[in-house]
Amino acid sequence: MKPALTRDAATGWVRPPMSDQVDTGDDRRLLARAQDGEIAAFEALVEAHQDKVYGLALRMTRSEADAAEITQDTFLSAYQHLKDFRGEAAFGSWVHRIAANHALMRLRHRRVAQAAESELQGPEFTERGTLADYPLSDWGQNAEEKALDAELGVAIQQATDRLPEGYREVFLLKDVDGLSYEQISEATGDSIPAIKSRLHRARLALREAIEQFYQPG
Amino acid sequence: MYTCKDSINLLLEYLDGEMTPEEARHLKEHFAGCRPCEEFLSTYRATSGMCKRALAQRIPQEVSAKLTEFLRSKIKPAS
Repeated sequence: MKPALTRDAATGWVRPPMSDQVDTGDDRRLLARAQDGEIAAFEALVEAHQDKVYGLALRMTRSEADAAEITQDTFLSAYQHLKDFRGEAAFGSWVHRIAANHALMRLRHRRVAQAAESELQGPEFTERGTLADYPLSDWGQNAEEKALDAELGVAIQQATDRLPEGYREVFLLKDVDGLSYEQISEATGDSIPAIKSRLHRARLALREAIEQFYQPG
Repeated sequence: MYTCKDSINLLLEYLDGEMTPEEARHLKEHFAGCRPCEEFLSTYRATSGMCKRALAQRIPQEVSAKLTEFLRSKIKPAS
């Protein structure tokens, strides 16, 4: 049975009561003090979460000026609704969703020329449905433990920038910023099947870009 | 029996744990007998984490300072 949904006062989104992120004890203590009016405690929460909020805003908008403004708007909005936040979700998860909403609103106002969906690269198959090009090396093994090559980092950033907007948004919100399908659906107005389809295509395109990086020559 | 194309189209559902036990079994059977797809799964699974690391950002110090200044101008201590 699915948990009951509640409406979040700050973001206006419907969300399940259970968080997808584990709150730290520090956050919970700071939140309680901030809700009692201690500004220093709120500033400590801002300090702890500003990198992630700014990062989300910058990745989404690709504008440092917009990212700075979204970060300000996000934390001001969080402060203004602090009393309504009952801690069903982690504080970090909550401000992330506020930031995502602000970023998406800003993107809606400046739609730019988008890459076509057909430009998304994925694996090629033979007529019998087998992989045409076999992966040359399994770079996925122990990937989390290896240092990320700086050139690969640039290649990933460029490949992410090349994704069509709707695909890029979904990939960033789900895989980089950790929002749930339900939260993304509420923010974008898109159906969960459509979000999953775009996420899969985006992952395939980015996997392909990393694969290209590892190919010799 | 799934083809490579079928298997790769189902990777998201598989990693989300949203397949029926029978579908998951068919997929595992394909992976067990198909080295390219087994490696494809491994690289597909690693892609998100690698991108997350590549795209991580820190707030610049001056932006952080302006944020503090902005919030202090908007937030009044409770009297």
